[in-house]
Amino acid sequence: MNELAVKFDGVGKRYRHFSLENIHLELPTGCIMGFIGANGAGKSTTIRILMGLVHQDEGSVRVLGHSMPAEQAKAKLDIGFVSEDMRLYGAATLAWHMEFMRPIYPRWDQKYAEELARRFDLKPQQKIKGLSHGQRVKAALLLALARRPRLLVLDEPTTGLDPVARVEVLGELMAALADEERTILFSSHNTLDVEQISDQITFIDRGRIIDSDDKEAFLDRWRRLRLVLPPDVAVPRLPGVVEVGGSGRLPVLTTDRFEPAMVSVCNELGAAVQAVDTMTLEEIFVANVQSRRERLTA
Amino acid sequence: MNYSMVRSLILKDWYFQRIAILLSLGGGVVSLAVVAFGGQAGFTIGLILLVTIMVMLSAMTVMGNTIGERENQTLAFSMSLPISYVEYTTSKVVGSLLIFVPFWLAVVGGCVGLIVAAPQIHGFFAYAVIMAIEILVSTCLMIAVALVTESKSWTIVAMVTGNLALNVVGYLVAHIPGIRKQMWGTAIYWNATATILVVIEFSLIALMLGGAFFIQSRKKDFI
Repeated sequence: MNELAVKFDGVGKRYRHFSLENIHLELPTGCIMGFIGANGAGKSTTIRILMGLVHQDEGSVRVLGHSMPAEQAKAKLDIGFVSEDMRLYGAATLAWHMEFMRPIYPRWDQKYAEELARRFDLKPQQKIKGLSHGQRVKAALLLALARRPRLLVLDEPTTGLDPVARVEVLGELMAALADEERTILFSSHNTLDVEQISDQITFIDRGRIIDSDDKEAFLDRWRRLRLVLPPDVAVPRLPGVVEVGGSGRLPVLTTDRFEPAMVSVCNELGAAVQAVDTMTLEEIFVANVQSRRERLTA
Repeated sequence: MNYSMVRSLILKDWYFQRIAILLSLGGGVVSLAVVAFGGQAGFTIGLILLVTIMVMLSAMTVMGNTIGERENQTLAFSMSLPISYVEYTTSKVVGSLLIFVPFWLAVVGGCVGLIVAAPQIHGFFAYAVIMAIEILVSTCLMIAVALVTESKSWTIVAMVTGNLALNVVGYLVAHIPGIRKQMWGTAIYWNATATILVVIEFSLIALMLGGAFFIQSRKKDFI
């Protein structure tokens, strides 16, 4: 078992119109966790608590062995943070930012910073206010990566990027993952981005963690079963069915606990299994959120 | 306290305020020259210019260093650095004061020097010192409000309040018997009334900045 880079234990935060409740989250060292949620689900609040920028009302948070927010200064020495709403100083150049950060971080890697600037096609002498949105995100990512952090926290970094810039940013992130000791928490509402780079997935909705598992486990256990029912056969009761769609004679069952044996169970119960469809992460996320919301309103 | 981190943040703020600092210094020198060599009209105009430049410098410093961080969304970048809230607050308070105070000291020193050099206005010495410190009080009010509220509107309210207070305090101090009696004389004086007023002013500064640190240390949401 790896050491935990991040551990949330029963964390809660209440605002007037939103609350984060009973968040338990464990991110082992060296893992890349995709943190997926709709807009306003609580991703940014969770990440701000992780960074010590927002204090939790209850529960404990440990990041890289430090208690947050009390030891945030020590923890942040080893964290690279990029968020969608974070801006660099527009009046200064990228080179100025690099010079500013170099003495702050003992592991700052100037060679790597310059290499990243070339790969991202960034001119260090250009002022930040003259950069496009994509270039600004790349500049922020450069500053986060060149400090060689043990934990990289990315809050919707690809939001608003054009497809080319998105591919470049994701590519660089994947290259950064070559370092097995580096842990990454990557939040997004874009499941495609998360699916590409993550090996662990956590879903959050309306301030609560609704599911968390290995990406492969998610993809393995979620399936859609397309059935054909003879006139006198009812929809089989299968474990983990979160949604029954389709028409009366042609039901589509979505399950989060699929096992190959389910097919023979269906056949034994008289229902013909027409197809077993795999699901994309986006489909899994939507089905997960919808089933939970339906359970809550039922 | 991570002093090297606080120092880095202060130097960063100085870097972004360097044009305002240089312009203020240039304006201050010109204004002092007008006060010194501009005759009676120049004395009045120069003093008004000096006060205006000091108010502008404090406003630009606070707006740029503190409010600007939130408005330009650079606060998340600053707070992602290895610092605590207290270190951030310290860097803002000390950084703003280190921009303002040297200029303020130079201007106050220049004014005091001019008063000392001109026997006919020696009586203004105590009044000038009290009012100069009042300008520092107004600046500290603005720094404290900007830090605590992080709001441009409230900081403008604090700036207007500080400037109005400057006029009101100027009027009231000039009418306090202990000050008024000597003000139009030709001898430099300092009495217990002047000391009490200066102590009150520095107490207000300590209260405002201490209050800002206290409130900042209890804040739960920093972004």
